[in-house]
Amino acid sequence: MTKTHYVSRRTMLKSAVAGAAAASLPAVPRFANAAEPIKIGMPVALTGPLGGIGAQMRTACEFWAKQVNAKGGLLGRPVELIIEDTAGNPATTVRKAQEMVERNGVRLITCIVASNEALATVPKLAEWDTIFVSGDNGDGRLTGESLVPNFFRPNTSGPMGTRAVALWLRDSPMKNFYGIGMDYAWGHNSMDVFEAEAKRAGKNFLGAVFSPTGTKDFATYIAKIRQSGAEGVYLVLAGDDNNAFLSQAKQYRLSDKIQLLTEQVDEMGLNATGDAAIGMIGGSRYPASLDNPVNKAFVAAWQADYKRLPQMFEGDQYQSCMVLQAGIEKAGSIEAAKLRTALEGLALDTVKGHIVMRACDHQAEQPGFIVKVVKREGMEHPMPEVIATYAADRVTPPCNKMVYDN
Amino acid sequence: MTGWRLFFLAAIVLAAAPFGLPIFAMTLLTEALILGLLAMSLDLMVGYTRLISFGHAAAYGLGAYASGYLLLHTALPLPVAVLAAALLAGVVAIGVAWVCTMATGVSFSMLTLAFAQLLYAVAFKWTSVTGASDGLAGIPRHPGPFGITVFQTKNGYYYLVLVCLLGAYVFCRALVSSPFGAVLRGIRENEAKTLSLGYNTRLYKIAVVALSFALGGLAGALYSPFAGFANTELLFWLFSGQVLIMVIVGGQGTLIGPILGAAFFMLLEHVLSAYTESWALFFGLIFIGFVMFAPQGIWGLLTSRRPKNARI
Repeated sequence: MTKTHYVSRRTMLKSAVAGAAAASLPAVPRFANAAEPIKIGMPVALTGPLGGIGAQMRTACEFWAKQVNAKGGLLGRPVELIIEDTAGNPATTVRKAQEMVERNGVRLITCIVASNEALATVPKLAEWDTIFVSGDNGDGRLTGESLVPNFFRPNTSGPMGTRAVALWLRDSPMKNFYGIGMDYAWGHNSMDVFEAEAKRAGKNFLGAVFSPTGTKDFATYIAKIRQSGAEGVYLVLAGDDNNAFLSQAKQYRLSDKIQLLTEQVDEMGLNATGDAAIGMIGGSRYPASLDNPVNKAFVAAWQADYKRLPQMFEGDQYQSCMVLQAGIEKAGSIEAAKLRTALEGLALDTVKGHIVMRACDHQAEQPGFIVKVVKREGMEHPMPEVIATYAADRVTPPCNKMVYDN
Repeated sequence: MTGWRLFFLAAIVLAAAPFGLPIFAMTLLTEALILGLLAMSLDLMVGYTRLISFGHAAAYGLGAYASGYLLLHTALPLPVAVLAAALLAGVVAIGVAWVCTMATGVSFSMLTLAFAQLLYAVAFKWTSVTGASDGLAGIPRHPGPFGITVFQTKNGYYYLVLVCLLGAYVFCRALVSSPFGAVLRGIRENEAKTLSLGYNTRLYKIAVVALSFALGGLAGALYSPFAGFANTELLFWLFSGQVLIMVIVGGQGTLIGPILGAAFFMLLEHVLSAYTESWALFFGLIFIGFVMFAPQGIWGLLTSRRPKNARI
């Protein structure tokens, strides 16, 4: 599964010489560069509880790289993906990323799955002189207190996902809410935002429980949710944990009593849990049904290749790849300093419509979507259907912030 | 003494490494030396005193979190923070050892495991100090008041690690050759007999656990500024098991063997994981092979022609 690319010292030396030649002789840079691919490092969790998300993100990157290379590459250079499994462990992620930088000469990183992996990596970016474009990392701090100049987040952040749900909540008749989240950065972070938003909407937040990543048995958590007396329960779960929870919630008929709400409705979970998720309402970072020309072209090409619709993390990661591509084309280089300038303030039409990479905190301003899980006739699996869309200026938080002013 | 000649040769080769190795190999080598220090510290307990610890990750994690915390929240220069963290691990170990040495054999091992898991749970919950599942990220290497910036460079840090490892080796070698070391071996071979000779074996055991933890803590304290990062994984029981494997594969009761074992473990993980996601499976097979066919480990294989050097 894992591809590794060894670069011998001689090759490194050659490319260094070629690079030096390109720098000193402006007449031949295209020629010198043509031999050298643009290497993109992907320390991605392919095994462990986050492996399912990692697989989606990798597929999206591979799809994008194939498209780019079919059109002659980026800046006339082919795109090469260097993929390594991190198993979702931050220490491994840092080590593998460091190896990519020091051994393979990588200067661009994407596809890191978990927020704690990303939080461990970002302090090293300056030393590595490397740009990291997030594909799914949700933790609000990445564009807040932990923001570093070489980090960019084109994807929807956790607080933005929760914000969309909160906006929808304001119009809902439900009064009392409870929460269950995964016991790591993203879980706590999103729950804090939801709590603040629920209270702001004049609702009661009765409390929350947190389950360790990799929890298989949610019986005690489900009991707590039932006992809370809430009308709606907010789920901040992903991957296998989400599947396990939904399957068990169905056994306990939890959704008969309590409306299931979630930060994100992920098709992978829907496929795994069958009908257990029908009726669930939640945010989506990317629903494949979006009606814009870029998305239509993307979905059509995707279906031709994979015979299915792109899933949420695939769409979100693909958008990040598009942003990276536009940045590199604008900068005419993958050098961190030039690329950083190009990415700041970059505006483009992507699969989610028109987005802007904010210069102040490197977060992309983009719309938020609320979907409901339905199963219509002829559908093999339940599917998310967009029931509300909120504009970018309402969904994106103030610069460097994780909470909203209104 | 051929042993010391070999030591100086190894020291010279390692000191020359930055001049010949590519940058990423230096990263791997630095980490291998840190793990080697950790494995060697465990050897004091396992190889010389037959105190099988399933919780040595506790020493490493304590050191790593302590130095990480000090560097993040104070302006202490790097070497001071590292030494303070090692000292803390040693002091904590006195209390731990006092409890754990109430039991012997498997019960002792289980108590060490329990203690390490306790620390793991604490690290997971004590968000304000340990950062919970996020860990401590962006750990700096402060130059301190004298502006010692040499440790901020890759090779400078490598030399710091190398000096710590060599110093710890000389210390451990002297320790196991001393009368204190003789008592430890007495405990290993026959604790009841050693006790009947008038030695308070429990005090000796507490002392060796504290020393072992202090050196293991030193390894951890060197790791977190090296990686720039510390997380709960460093305290997890799986890691304790891996360190024990390093000691056994390298050759217990030899000090040098566990260092080789650590380097071997790291290198193999690195090479195997490039080819297969189930590298741990293959490593397990290699481990079984060592236990069955070469119980004296790598160092035992290397020195088997000279049985007088074997220390098992």
